[in-house]
Amino acid sequence: MDALAQAVREAPATARPQLDLELRGIRKRYGGFTAVDGVSLKVPKGRFVCLLGPSGCGKTTTLRCVAGLEDPDDGDILIGGKEATRDPPWERDIAMMFQDFALFPHMTVAKQVGFGLEMLKKPKAAIAERVKQVLASFEIAQLADRKPANLSGGQRQRVALARAMITEPRILLLDEPIGALDYSLRETVMLELKLLQQRTGISFIWVTHDQNEAFSLGDLVVVMNHARIEQQGSPEEILQRPATAFVASFVQGNNVFHGRVVRAGDGLLLVETACGSFLVPGRGPTIGSEVSFSVRAELITDLLADPHLNRLAARCTAVEYFGSLRRHVFERPDGEVMKVDQFGAYAARIVAGQRVELGWRPQDTVLHTGSAE
Amino acid sequence: MSTIRARSAASYWLAVPAALWMLGVVVVPIVLLAWVSLWGGRTFSPASPLTFDNYTKFFANKTYLQLALSTVGHTAVLMAVTGVLGYGIAYFLTMKVRSPRWRLVLFLAFVVPFWTSTLIRGIAWVPFLGVNGVINQALIFTGATRSPIEAFLYSRFGISMAQASLYTMMAAGPVVYMLNAIQPALREAAMTLKAPPLVVFWRIVFPLTLPGVVIGQVLVFLNVMADFATVATVGGNKHAMLPNLVLLFYEGSQHRAASVVAVLLMACMLIGVIAALRVVDIRRLGADR
Repeated sequence: MDALAQAVREAPATARPQLDLELRGIRKRYGGFTAVDGVSLKVPKGRFVCLLGPSGCGKTTTLRCVAGLEDPDDGDILIGGKEATRDPPWERDIAMMFQDFALFPHMTVAKQVGFGLEMLKKPKAAIAERVKQVLASFEIAQLADRKPANLSGGQRQRVALARAMITEPRILLLDEPIGALDYSLRETVMLELKLLQQRTGISFIWVTHDQNEAFSLGDLVVVMNHARIEQQGSPEEILQRPATAFVASFVQGNNVFHGRVVRAGDGLLLVETACGSFLVPGRGPTIGSEVSFSVRAELITDLLADPHLNRLAARCTAVEYFGSLRRHVFERPDGEVMKVDQFGAYAARIVAGQRVELGWRPQDTVLHTGSAE
Repeated sequence: MSTIRARSAASYWLAVPAALWMLGVVVVPIVLLAWVSLWGGRTFSPASPLTFDNYTKFFANKTYLQLALSTVGHTAVLMAVTGVLGYGIAYFLTMKVRSPRWRLVLFLAFVVPFWTSTLIRGIAWVPFLGVNGVINQALIFTGATRSPIEAFLYSRFGISMAQASLYTMMAAGPVVYMLNAIQPALREAAMTLKAPPLVVFWRIVFPLTLPGVVIGQVLVFLNVMADFATVATVGGNKHAMLPNLVLLFYEGSQHRAASVVAVLLMACMLIGVIAALRVVDIRRLGADR
């Protein structure tokens, strides 16, 4: 027998790459309503994870289960490889930043930033010293003696972050942490938080309904809907290969089609939809099965050439500008909206009201293969 | 929509009826009371010379001083008892009762008795506490005691029991209000910062409800200090507090002595309220939120 293979098999469990967080089949019901339905997730050390989904999809409940603020009905939570499902919040190696920051109104900034260290029973002098350092590093040293009522939104956000980070937890849980900030502040704060996460190596679990946040921050994006994980992967994976019709329609810029497979072979499917038949790369589905697929708005063109075997005639209803992006909104034959994006600030070739023959290459079409868990 | 700005002429005119009322039924009588308490001489007339003799006489009498002291002591005990009971009830109602329907039912159970007058509720304790009263009958029935306990009625203990039942809701009400105003996220944030429940209570919940506690204590303080009815009915003629002394002097047509006690009672209350306001700025209630 191969000695190396034997050594690998007998290696102690701790030699495996350690996970900061592992969720195994978390379930949470409130009466008849299922808030979280079998969520499993592995977060390797020092990752930035974004839980993305519409409101009510279970992302916040999942986060609260990790914090220990909700008791899951079923499933296991491992923090740093250690079983923590039944641990109370104050015994977990986590910190949390709340949506409205949840600052203690009766405590000064210095007092509340030091609160976590006080709970860890650190000596007073050490706490004062550390609070000073942390306030300085978050550039809020001048606010030390103020109370939350006298802080701006951006200042509150920094205080909440400093308060959570001072105990250096293994995982920082963030519930829509920049949702309460002015729009103009958000981009700066996002960049700062990303750099902070990379510098400290603390895993961030960031709950948001904003896909821009999720895709610009997350190493791992977890898309949730109806209490379940629809897809998890890198931002590129989710943008380029949405696994379900929900993910495709939730992520901006996808055009989703539903239909039935009428022919299959050579890694290609012919799918009949209400808008006509289209060629979709794929091997799994058999003839007669119901499938969905999507194509990104920027991959559809009106400049038709030979490879554009997928064709569709539609009427343009509006043209919208987003910086250098020009989005044409079409009405599909099935009544749905179809979006076609073009880049560059030159004048539109297509104007509203025009009927246009559009097309895209079969290889740009993404078959939804279902939840990739 | 028309609005009336603060400090405009219209807003002052709107305050006139209330101001006249307060002047007539509060300010003028108090001034009269203070004036009468200073009347000297042998005849009871406005022509009397003004002296502090009446006060000197009061303070020279050991029995009266003892009475004043025991009134303050009794009030302090009542404040402590209603404070603890009231906080417990308030905490239970707002934090422990999750179902809104149960919360309403329990809240009504606490509040409905207060729809009858304080006097009636005070008197209602007499058949309850008496030698053949409900409590004694229950104690004898269960075998807890052989002969009825006489200490319930016409005793300091009985007065305290009756007053605690009368005034606990006054201590609880403001605390319920303050507890309701605490966002659940504050307690959760403290827990994720490694604070166990008792510490969360002591460091977060209690300080945030302190204004409510103080307001409740002020209400209990003022009411117990002024409560002659419960003392008279439940305490019989064996026990008296300062307000009973006012009544006693008044019924004996000793109007100057009655006003002296009344003024001293008011002074005590004023000092108490001022002390409470030093602890918590009631005017800034809720400003931190």
